[in-house]
Amino acid sequence: MSPLFPIIVLGLLILILCFRLVRQSANTAKQPVTADEFEKARGDLDAIFVETAAIQRVFSAEDAEFISHTGSVELQHLFLKERKAIAMRWLRKTQKQVAVLMGLHLRLAGYTRESKPAFELKLALKYVLFSILSNLVLLLLWLRGPFRTSRVITYMVRFAGSFCTIFSLRLATVAAVQFQKSSESTT
Amino acid sequence: MGTYFIWSTAIALEAILLFRGTQTRLLRKYPFFYIYIGCVLATEIVSLFSYRFASDSYSSLYWPSEFVTIVASYTVLVEIFRCSTRHKPGIRRLAQNILLAVFALTVAYAFSDLAQSGFRSATRAIADLGRYLRYVEAGVLLVMLWLLARYRIPLGRNLLGLISGYSFWLACNAVNLAFLFRPSNELSIVARGLLPALYLLALIIWCASLWSAQPEPAHAAQNRMERDYDLLATNTNTILARSSHQIFRLFRP
Repeated sequence: MSPLFPIIVLGLLILILCFRLVRQSANTAKQPVTADEFEKARGDLDAIFVETAAIQRVFSAEDAEFISHTGSVELQHLFLKERKAIAMRWLRKTQKQVAVLMGLHLRLAGYTRESKPAFELKLALKYVLFSILSNLVLLLLWLRGPFRTSRVITYMVRFAGSFCTIFSLRLATVAAVQFQKSSESTT
Repeated sequence: MGTYFIWSTAIALEAILLFRGTQTRLLRKYPFFYIYIGCVLATEIVSLFSYRFASDSYSSLYWPSEFVTIVASYTVLVEIFRCSTRHKPGIRRLAQNILLAVFALTVAYAFSDLAQSGFRSATRAIADLGRYLRYVEAGVLLVMLWLLARYRIPLGRNLLGLISGYSFWLACNAVNLAFLFRPSNELSIVARGLLPALYLLALIIWCASLWSAQPEPAHAAQNRMERDYDLLATNTNTILARSSHQIFRLFRP
């Protein structure tokens, strides 16, 4: 490998990050965490919390057994296809919500006096790990379908439940007045 | 003719930057940056005069003056760090630790490489040292930009312009230096020819963004946010730990 290569990569990375920073800063209105934004995050999480109960039923093996006993092959395929699509959509939504939480975390971390470097590093690594693993689960779902990966679904359901509970508890302790309204955030 | 044009334009732009800095009082706000510009201006005037009137001394002056500007450019790095983390003491501590670690590692690597290549002449040693210092600077800047982007630290228009111009110039300069020390590479001549024009572009970015003083983004409700952060940090960590553990268990035989 040419010794020029790392320096060129370094230069390119600096330019890319700088461009990202400019784009990010252009959207200054979104910088502070607003009450509206926080409320939206809560709403989205509550929706997932409600879905969690339903999702366990959707992936229940009983339904699959029932269909296999009574339905035609075509119906079984249709049933599997639908359940697979629901599972994948739900998992993607969960991933998105974790990303929203991480986004809020990072934006709040910018305001703290007590950030801990080791903790921040661990958290970043865990988030990366979670992203990789949840994508692997997605792949597994896509390859094997929802009923052969029922254990995965159960864990993901549990995760979504605990996620919603913890985040809801946290939101309950935060008064909305602590955050600025969207309209005030630009001042 | 072209060389003189670029040279004198750069000197004029640097002088304009300094003049506007005093007019808009940005010089007080970003003193290190203006020290750097002043230093570059001084070395360029000296270099221009030596190139015009004593061309024999120009070649011996080139690398020492380049070295001085590289060392002075570290003050811009300090300025960016100081201004961007002014209202974020937590991030300041975190960034300080990471940047110091990156700095120490890259300096150690650069010096070991320098020691291995051997001492040939004073000019060559200064040139090599300057090059390595530039690489170290680029490495530290990369980490700093990553931290600024990751923690979405709000930046004012002036500071953003300062960072943009500096990043652009530093990235181009580091790549150019890498090419310069590989004269056999075909792109080396192109890179060398382009560099003065790229520096002018960086100066234009600085002039445009530092022409007038712009208000800084608001930093409200910090104390409440701090308390909130601790709770959020613990919860986020718990959630991620639990979910990762559960997913790990799935893949166990």
